[in-house]
Amino acid sequence: MSDKKDTPIKVMLVDDEAGLTTLTKMSLERSGEFIVAVENDPRKAVERARHLQPDILILDMVMPGMDGGDVAAQIRNTPELAQMKLIILTALVSGDETTGGTASIAVGGEGYRALSKPVKLELLQQTIREELESV
Amino acid sequence: MSSSGPGDEMAGGLDVPSARRIVDSLPLAVFGKDPANEFRFVLWNRKQEELTGISQKDAIGKTDFDLFPHDEAKAFRKADEAVVRGGAAFEIPEERIDTPTHEVIWLRTLKSLVEDDSGQHRWLLGISEDISAQKLAADELVRTSKVLQTTQLQLIQAEKMELIGRLAAGVAHEVKNPLYLISMGLDYFKEGIKPDDPNLPILVAEMSDALDRADKIVRGLLDFSVDKGLDLADSDLVSLVDRGLHLVRYDLTRSGVVVDVDVEDNLSWVIADRSKFEQVLVNVLTNAVHAVEALDGADTGHRFDLRMEMATVDFEMPDEGVRGCQSLRLGEPAVLLRLRDTGAGLPEGDADRVFDPFFTTKDTGKGTGLGLSVVRKIISLHGGHISLRTRGDGQRGAEVQIFLRPAANSGG
Repeated sequence: MSDKKDTPIKVMLVDDEAGLTTLTKMSLERSGEFIVAVENDPRKAVERARHLQPDILILDMVMPGMDGGDVAAQIRNTPELAQMKLIILTALVSGDETTGGTASIAVGGEGYRALSKPVKLELLQQTIREELESV
Repeated sequence: MSSSGPGDEMAGGLDVPSARRIVDSLPLAVFGKDPANEFRFVLWNRKQEELTGISQKDAIGKTDFDLFPHDEAKAFRKADEAVVRGGAAFEIPEERIDTPTHEVIWLRTLKSLVEDDSGQHRWLLGISEDISAQKLAADELVRTSKVLQTTQLQLIQAEKMELIGRLAAGVAHEVKNPLYLISMGLDYFKEGIKPDDPNLPILVAEMSDALDRADKIVRGLLDFSVDKGLDLADSDLVSLVDRGLHLVRYDLTRSGVVVDVDVEDNLSWVIADRSKFEQVLVNVLTNAVHAVEALDGADTGHRFDLRMEMATVDFEMPDEGVRGCQSLRLGEPAVLLRLRDTGAGLPEGDADRVFDPFFTTKDTGKGTGLGLSVVRKIISLHGGHISLRTRGDGQRGAEVQIFLRPAANSGG
């Protein structure tokens, strides 16, 4: 687990908003702790994830054409990705944003860590680290 | 035998006193003037006494100028002279009379000429009917009609406010994304700005873009909420549909609905009230989305068809009573907007009732049930027509058809 200190954490970000993903990628990669692959088309997300084998997937819920719930379900049904760590990023979570806005979201019967937009960079980074450390 | 007045003549089988009594007691006001003698009154029946408050005794031998206010008398004299000149009857459909007892009455008067033995026009005869009651009723009708129209517009606006309530949630969510982007940008800047950082111009561009998007989202809703009276103008239907789709974008995305828009080439512009037609679109689109949500275990991937094309009105336009504007008629060209959804479809046998006020298939507490009746009213004010039916192509779902009047000039 600890050799990840030197190699950047591989993050895959799935969100249809290109501007948002560009900025998130820039912000996360700045410190060198993370390296981010962006996918704006949810329908291609699963295939891409299989190729990239990221350490963690950050998934937007509300996307035209195919929503986050479907992507999560597809991932769980893909053997190589079944254990993939997932964080849901969404405007739908009614959390108290002043305290960090984390919550759990049930999608397809499983609970996932969820962050509500807009989320502070620090919180995002922290949540990624925590998820990867948990079993 | 010289005659001094119409009352002295034999009147077809009746003796003169009886004829006189009949004239006197007619339920119409009857008067006679002598054009050869300054139009002095020579006949003045009881009803005329009643209407004017002037007794026969006081009227006979006098002129209009002796009995009535100067301006009124002038008008009477003018009419009298016209009748004598023209030699034909003259109707004054309504005139206002101020009586000496300071009452206001409305009269409908017929003035005609009576011949003497030699066939010459000798007397001016006037018959007046008191139409004060009818006039009052007619005025009241106009007033009531105006109140009704105002109330209808108020109802349309009230329904719109309800729609806005629902759209506001979508707007709030939509606005979060651009704000989030800007917030991320600021976080990035907070960590330090290096002048040669290649990310900087990209960041600034994205943030600026996000601000524009947020502004557009909010502005869309604000524009929509403005209350204006009915303002029909030549409008680009494609642009209206675009705005309508934009307003409900969040609802569509959330339910996994994609709308395929197809526009016929050279589509004519339409006569429409921009804001009210947007209200129709929002209502109709939201209903379609709800119909999809009503399906159990709905799969995503719903595709709605929205098509705009020219068409000919091939049905009798229902008569919806007095309209404020012209409306489409059978056989006339129209612009047709068709929306087909993939929702639960219409309940059996209810196709006719969907536009009735308070008819709803939704649970209690969901909506006022007035939406479609208001939509129909708006389309009626446009001189158009709307119908809702089950999709004709065998697929599950409903189809809305809206016929609109084409604009004379296609702008753009």
